[in-house]
Amino acid sequence: MNAQPLKAALPEQLPPKPRNPMPVWIAATLAMLWLIVWDLEISFETLAYGVEDMAEYFGRYGQPDFTNLSRYLALMGITLATALWGTVFALLVAFFLAPLAARNFSPNAVAYRIARETLNFMRAMPDLLLALLFVAALGLGPMPGALALGVHTAGFLGKFFAESLERVDRGVCEGVASTGANFPQMVMYAGWPSILREALGYVLYILDRNVRMASVLGLVGAGGIGLALHDTLRLFDYGQSAALILVILATILMIDYASAWLRRRLG
Amino acid sequence: MITASTWRWPTPNGLPPLPLVGGVVTLLGVLWLTAPIVEVDFVRLFGSFGKMMHFAGQMFVTPDWGYVPQLLAKMLETIEMTVLATAIAIVVSLPLGLLAASNATPHPLIYRITRDLLSLMRALPELVWALVFVSAVGLGPLPGVMALAFVTVGFMGKFFAESIEVVDHKAVEGVRAHGAGWLQVRLFAMLPQALPDFVGTVMYILDHNMRAAAILGLVGAGGIGYDLVMSMRLFQYDRLLLIALAIYLAVTALDRTSDHLRSRIIHGRHA
Repeated sequence: MNAQPLKAALPEQLPPKPRNPMPVWIAATLAMLWLIVWDLEISFETLAYGVEDMAEYFGRYGQPDFTNLSRYLALMGITLATALWGTVFALLVAFFLAPLAARNFSPNAVAYRIARETLNFMRAMPDLLLALLFVAALGLGPMPGALALGVHTAGFLGKFFAESLERVDRGVCEGVASTGANFPQMVMYAGWPSILREALGYVLYILDRNVRMASVLGLVGAGGIGLALHDTLRLFDYGQSAALILVILATILMIDYASAWLRRRLG
Repeated sequence: MITASTWRWPTPNGLPPLPLVGGVVTLLGVLWLTAPIVEVDFVRLFGSFGKMMHFAGQMFVTPDWGYVPQLLAKMLETIEMTVLATAIAIVVSLPLGLLAASNATPHPLIYRITRDLLSLMRALPELVWALVFVSAVGLGPLPGVMALAFVTVGFMGKFFAESIEVVDHKAVEGVRAHGAGWLQVRLFAMLPQALPDFVGTVMYILDHNMRAAAILGLVGAGGIGYDLVMSMRLFQYDRLLLIALAIYLAVTALDRTSDHLRSRIIHGRHA
């Protein structure tokens, strides 16, 4: 009696096994990569034979020449100052644009779209391209570099801030709005205080990134340590290049640790 | 009377909090001290506004349409470098990420060493490595791919490690209770949980590499960057306009795709 419905519930044949498309995807990816390697004319044989040459080449960096250390440190100082000014510039721009680009704070849809697209545009322009433009317009020196970093990272910072603002608790927004607050008051009392910690984390991240970028902006004439590195590499002066690379490396690692420490204290 | 337009700090005495004042004053002080180093000169800045407008005005020329085929070829090369470097970096950073995650590493010492190795790899920007690799293996896309892959292993390894560190420990214990071995625990309990994060990381790195690849040509490491610099040096604004537009379009398209993918992963499949 009882076995009858159970038997009926068992289908004659099992449903088809779910297809596993994984091998197809992997094969397609590998084929695409192989095509790319072929198109870029990268030959692994050259690379394999070149390993010895490369070991020899990197051996030339073995003896860093620190005779000009004070000059390098001064250049590194310029680079750090450039990164700082760029970050502050980005912070200023993002401070005003981010509330407009956050859906829940923006006063109207037009302002939202314009702010979003402005941030997208700033983000899309590579900072070296911007640096080239500003150097052409303002002349050589660290200031065009700081401006380029500022414009490019304002796009990032504005986007990060806007996304944080969009996550602000609705209760907080409604509470402030119910007091009759206008747009700037909403932003100042409900917006920024809610995301302060997150925002500081983003600023630290951007500062970190700007220090890295500022050390190469010298390549396009925007001052700092990058220009010196470019020159010594051009002159095949491996000792001085190694010293410059070590100075950059040490500074970046120091900033890395400092910002990790600060972030831990904030978080 | 307190009106809607009254501005007041939300503190008991209505004055700004001390840490904020201290922070702002310190920042302003540092900015004031570093202004001469950066050669900040607002007079020069605003004085050159006309020059900048003039420069921008030069960009409004008829684009050099004859250049489009070469532009497309160079853009394709840039995208190919991006994809290849990202793929290499994924393969290398998966094992490194496992070694650098505190809950997956075989030994605390290996954890420390891998962490430091990764932070060394990501310390210098791609462009510096590209300069070095160009000197080592010659001009072309190869040094560019090497530089991109090298630096992004540093970033991706760290991000992978961080996503592995936050996986749910219960699933790991569950798999271990079945008698899974060292590698099986990592493959079947940790990696599947961290996979959504990995996809987000890969999209971010792809985006980052695309921007970086667009300028690596500056030092002869392949891609559109070389044409970019040359057209700027030779004042070929008709080409420069097209190149800037192409970079903008490519970066924006990737940005939109990755935003879309990320929101799909975070908010479920049909968001």
